[in-house]
Amino acid sequence: MWRWLHPYAKGEASYHLLGRWLPWLTASALLVLLIGIGWGLVFAPPDYQQGDSYRIIFIHVPSAMLSMGTYTGMAIAALVALVWQIRTAEWSIAAIAPVGAVLTFISLLTGAAWGKPMWGTWWEWDARMTSQLILLFLYLGVLALYHAFSDNRTGAKAASILALVGVVNIPIIHFSVYWWNSLHQGATITKFAKPSMPPEMYIPLFVCIFGFMLMTAAFITQRLRHEILRQELHRPWVQQLLVGAKVKEQ
Amino acid sequence: MNKASYRSLVVALMQRDFKVAMRRKSDSINPLLFVLMVVTLFPIAVGPSHEVLGRIAPGVIWVVALLASLLGSERLFRDDYLDGSLEQMVLSPAPLELLALAKISSHWLLSGLPLVILSPFCALLLKLPIEGWLTLMLTLLLGTPILSAMTAIGAALTVSLGRGGALLSLLLLPLFIPLLIFATAAVDSSLLGMPAIGQLLFLAGFMVLTLTLAPLAVAAAIKVSVN
Amino acid sequence: MIPRRKKRLAMVLSLVVGVGIAMTFILLALSKNVDLFYTPSQMLEGEHKPQVGQRLRVGGMVVEGSVKRDANTLEVEFLVTDTGPTVKVLYQGILPDLFREGQGIVAQGVLQEGNVVKATEVLAKHDEEYMPPELAEAMKGIKHVNPNSNEAYTKPPSGGN
Repeated sequence: MWRWLHPYAKGEASYHLLGRWLPWLTASALLVLLIGIGWGLVFAPPDYQQGDSYRIIFIHVPSAMLSMGTYTGMAIAALVALVWQIRTAEWSIAAIAPVGAVLTFISLLTGAAWGKPMWGTWWEWDARMTSQLILLFLYLGVLALYHAFSDNRTGAKAASILALVGVVNIPIIHFSVYWWNSLHQGATITKFAKPSMPPEMYIPLFVCIFGFMLMTAAFITQRLRHEILRQELHRPWVQQLLVGAKVKEQ
Repeated sequence: MNKASYRSLVVALMQRDFKVAMRRKSDSINPLLFVLMVVTLFPIAVGPSHEVLGRIAPGVIWVVALLASLLGSERLFRDDYLDGSLEQMVLSPAPLELLALAKISSHWLLSGLPLVILSPFCALLLKLPIEGWLTLMLTLLLGTPILSAMTAIGAALTVSLGRGGALLSLLLLPLFIPLLIFATAAVDSSLLGMPAIGQLLFLAGFMVLTLTLAPLAVAAAIKVSVN
Repeated sequence: MIPRRKKRLAMVLSLVVGVGIAMTFILLALSKNVDLFYTPSQMLEGEHKPQVGQRLRVGGMVVEGSVKRDANTLEVEFLVTDTGPTVKVLYQGILPDLFREGQGIVAQGVLQEGNVVKATEVLAKHDEEYMPPELAEAMKGIKHVNPNSNEAYTKPPSGGN
């Protein structure tokens, strides 16, 4: 496996590999999201208690899950960057952090919009919401640290360490609803047992989650390609790429 | 190198920190003065009523403690970095994690402990009901080592940046939120006549955990910064 | 032992011990139950009863048929229970959509004489179960009321003013 992976530690190879994935990811993300959200918002039955308001779950849950998932991904990239000093892993931190921050922000925003009519409050300083807010700050901190150094490698390594320190927050977010008497309800679908919804609700929810995954992957792929280009600007292969693009334009 | 010489290294490092602090007393006294000043601003700003002050006192004291810990944080490794002793620490035969723990300890003794000692006076100024005093001191006693350890991580990460101050606060403050929540909840619940033992145990757990893991992060960060 | 290996062993050992102690503390703390709110039984029969005049949060189920509304103002009163005792909550303001009899709520306010809580805020708590109205009716015998309609709050017999 190492022999297979090794070339992708270099910018050029991964740039082209990601470029080949990107159109597929984008197209499938658009398709799956369209199906999932359309199904969830229009065709899934209303809830017996919350009526139509619960439908925000089709955006809230995928974004919240993905916000934690991307953080875990970023932390793994950080570990790889620190231990094996692979540059692609360092750059992927910069590629992942903004996407994760936006996902976290979406989950907070939709949560507030859902909480107001249902619980009666936009925001409550309880464990689940506070730890999710800290996740947002962590993403922003990692991003700020990454870009703070004039030397990119130092910045990437410093950001990696911070990302790893912040991993402590992930189990806190996940278990907060069980550890404290939180206002937030427990998880609907992360348990391995049967989801606590009927299939006509959880199937569109799964489709939405899958769509969000594809979308996140597409965004990260695109951002990583940009980061590779930005970092390797002085390498001959990038210059050739740019010249090639210019020739095509003319 | 055997155990004994590691110990003498740690002792030498801490002694040096104390000596530097003694020579520049203002560095350790200024944050304490800052705490006192801000605490006196509150009764002036919100009015001297017992009820209001007593309600906000735990929160105010803790927030001021957080801000005060940020004041000197940039200096934690800056001088060592500039005069090259940080590099010597990296090269020394003793594990860097152990030296990091020594730095954290001397930072706590010089900044955290005085704050704990000062806290009853702040509680008096803010008219915190007497039931909360012991819990307040205990939360500070358990919480300030966490502040020192986290500050050390942040300071080590940003030490090679010339202008790390604002960034350092941005990195550290969110990480302090859980600490703030548990500490103020502990004081609040003892003000309500409930036991604060649950929150205090949480703080104790956090403290041991940060003191165990922070030296690793600090050592890694120093290695990155010194390169 | 080789010094290098000895160093590593000492480090791993101290890590294990530190994390172990921390976990013990945290597990102990978890068993102490740090709550967002009191339940009515904790309030009336628990070890640490709140005192009159104390700010607190009480959480429980709204007792069926206990909601009384004032015809002219937004004042409302209802009983909250968990397993045994009940606590009366007085509130003035707009209740959340999910507020219904039999629904879990959290009220924040000040304790007054005779187990009455004068609430400044009432929040509704719901569980993680979602189901379509027909299914809920079949399974639980709960009839769906559109939360946007007025019926959601008033359930006559003992209700009204």
